[in-house]
Amino acid sequence: MKFGYLLIVAEHDSIDYLNLAYALAISIKNTQKPGYDQVALVVDNKEKLNSLKSSWVFDHVIEWKEEIFWDGRSWMDQLSPFDATVCLDVDMLFMRDYSHWVDYFLENCDLYVANKSYTYRGELIYDAYYRKSFIKNHLPNLYSFYTFFKKNSNLVNEFFDLGRHIIKNPIEFTNTFLTEHKPKILGTDEAFALSAKILDITDQIAYPLEFPRVVHMKPMIQNWPWPADCWSDHIGFYLNKKGQLKLGNYQQQDIVHYVEKDKISTEMINILEEIVWKK
Amino acid sequence: MTQGILIYAHNSRSVDYALMAAISGGLAKKHLNVPATLVTDKFTVDWMKASQIYEMANEIFENIIVVEKPQTNNNRKLYDGTDNAVVPFINSNRSSAWELTPYERTLLIDSDFLIFSDRLSEYWKVDSDLLISESINDIYDNSRLRYHDRYISDVGIKLYWATTVMFTKNTKTKIFFDLVTFIRDNYQYYADTYRFDSKQFRNDIAFSIAKHILNGFEQNNAEDLPPILTLLDRDILYSVDKKLTVLISPMLDSNFCAASIVDTDIHIMNKQSIIRNKDALMELI
Repeated sequence: MKFGYLLIVAEHDSIDYLNLAYALAISIKNTQKPGYDQVALVVDNKEKLNSLKSSWVFDHVIEWKEEIFWDGRSWMDQLSPFDATVCLDVDMLFMRDYSHWVDYFLENCDLYVANKSYTYRGELIYDAYYRKSFIKNHLPNLYSFYTFFKKNSNLVNEFFDLGRHIIKNPIEFTNTFLTEHKPKILGTDEAFALSAKILDITDQIAYPLEFPRVVHMKPMIQNWPWPADCWSDHIGFYLNKKGQLKLGNYQQQDIVHYVEKDKISTEMINILEEIVWKK
Repeated sequence: MTQGILIYAHNSRSVDYALMAAISGGLAKKHLNVPATLVTDKFTVDWMKASQIYEMANEIFENIIVVEKPQTNNNRKLYDGTDNAVVPFINSNRSSAWELTPYERTLLIDSDFLIFSDRLSEYWKVDSDLLISESINDIYDNSRLRYHDRYISDVGIKLYWATTVMFTKNTKTKIFFDLVTFIRDNYQYYADTYRFDSKQFRNDIAFSIAKHILNGFEQNNAEDLPPILTLLDRDILYSVDKKLTVLISPMLDSNFCAASIVDTDIHIMNKQSIIRNKDALMELI
C-alpha cells in the first residue's frame, strides 16, 4: 500500500504557506525512514515551486485551485495520490522517526483523527480556551492537523463527504448543531468533529491512543500562570544545525505545531536544507 | 546492598535543625528499619552537646559526620502559623550526599520530614538509580499550592522536591550530584537560562535542573518517589500522641481547623512547631 504525507497550501496575503510546507517536507525527509517519507503537495500554482532550492522534497505536486484557503483541506481524501495518507497542517515540523505510528494506522484503521495535543513541556493539553465551542456543544475533541485515512473506504467517504457539506453550509450546521456556543468560523476541526458526531463514529476514528503526539503551541494552552498572546514572547525557539529543536528549556521529540508562522525564517530553512542535502 | 538514611543539619540562630534531625532520623530508623547517618558541623555539634541531645543523637545515628559549615547569604521567610521571621537557610552542601553517604543505597531526607510508615521501604529495590519526589500534596487541598510549587519558574521545568531523594551510589549518580554542585556554583547562569529567581538557593531547583539535563532536556515520566504530604508553615503541628493533631489554615490566615494524621509520612514546614512538640515526638521513636 502506497503511503505518504499530504500538505495542502493556498494563497495568502501575508503568510507564505508554501515555505512552511517546504520546511515540513524537508523535516519529513530528514527524519522518516524510506517508504514513510513520501510527500505530496497541493498548491494553487505549480510555478511557485521554482523559488525553492530543493522542490524535489515534494514527491508529488498537485495543482488545484477549486477552493480558497483552508476549505481545501476538506478535500484531502480526493486530492491525495496515496492509498493511505496522513494529511498535516503545514505549520509543523517533524523531530524524529514516527513511522511506527503509521504502521499501526495502516494495520488497524481506515480513518484516524488526532484527538490530543501536548504543551512544549510534554503535558497533555486540556484546552478550555480555544475549544469552547467543542466543550459547550459536546463535540469530540478532534484536531485535523494529523488525519490518517485510506482511500476506497465507505467510512472515509462518508466522513469527508459530510465534512465538506458542513464546510459549505456553515450557517445551517452552526444554527442546528452548535447552538450552545457558536464558533466565529466553522473550520476544519469543527467540521470534522461535527461530522464524526453526526455519523456517530467517534469511537472508531478517535479512540484513545498514545499517538500521534503533537505539541500544540497556541499560547493560551501552555499551562502558564498568565495569559499570553504570543508564545515566542516568553520562550525561545532554538533549532540547531542537527535539526534538533528546543522550545524554552525543553528538547522536542514530538511533532511540533509551532503556530507562529514567522518561526520559519530563511535561516531555519537553510539549516534544514543542509541536513537534507547531506542525507 | 547496604541501605540507610542520610540527614543534613546545620543549625541557624533561629532553628534547631539538629533536634529536628534527631527526631526525623529516629522516626525514619524505626519505621524503615535501616540505620541513619547525620551530616552536621562543629558548631551544631557543640550546640547538641550544650543542649544535651548529643548522646541521644549518638544512639539514633550510627554515624555523625562533621563537615565544614557552609557559608550562606541565603535567607528565607519562615512562618510559624500567623507569625513569621526571616532566618538564615544553610542548605548549600546537599550535593555532597554522594561523597558522604556510607550506604550503597541512600534515602536522603530533610530534617522536617517525619516518617511514620514503611511506605518508602518499597523503593529500596526499585530498579532506578535515582528517585526524587515528583510533587508535594498539601494536607488541606492543592489549591493552596502556588504555581512555583509545581514549576521552577513561569515557563520553566517541572519542580521536583529534594525533601526525599533515594539514590544508589554509582557512576551515574555521581554525575548527577556533580551536576547539582555545578548548578549550585553557577546558580545565576542557570537562573537566567531557566528563568527562575536566584535570590535564594534551593536544592529543589538544582536537583530538578540536573534531572532535566540528564534526561536529555525532556520531562521524565518514569517512576519517582511518591508525592510528599505537606503541612505548610502557615499551619501548625498542635499536639502529638498516637496521632498528630494539626491546625490547618485553609485561607492561610488566622482561622484554623483541626485535623488528625495517623501512620502517614509528613513534611512539616512549620519547624518551630516540631520543636515545640519535641518531647512527645521523641516518645514515638
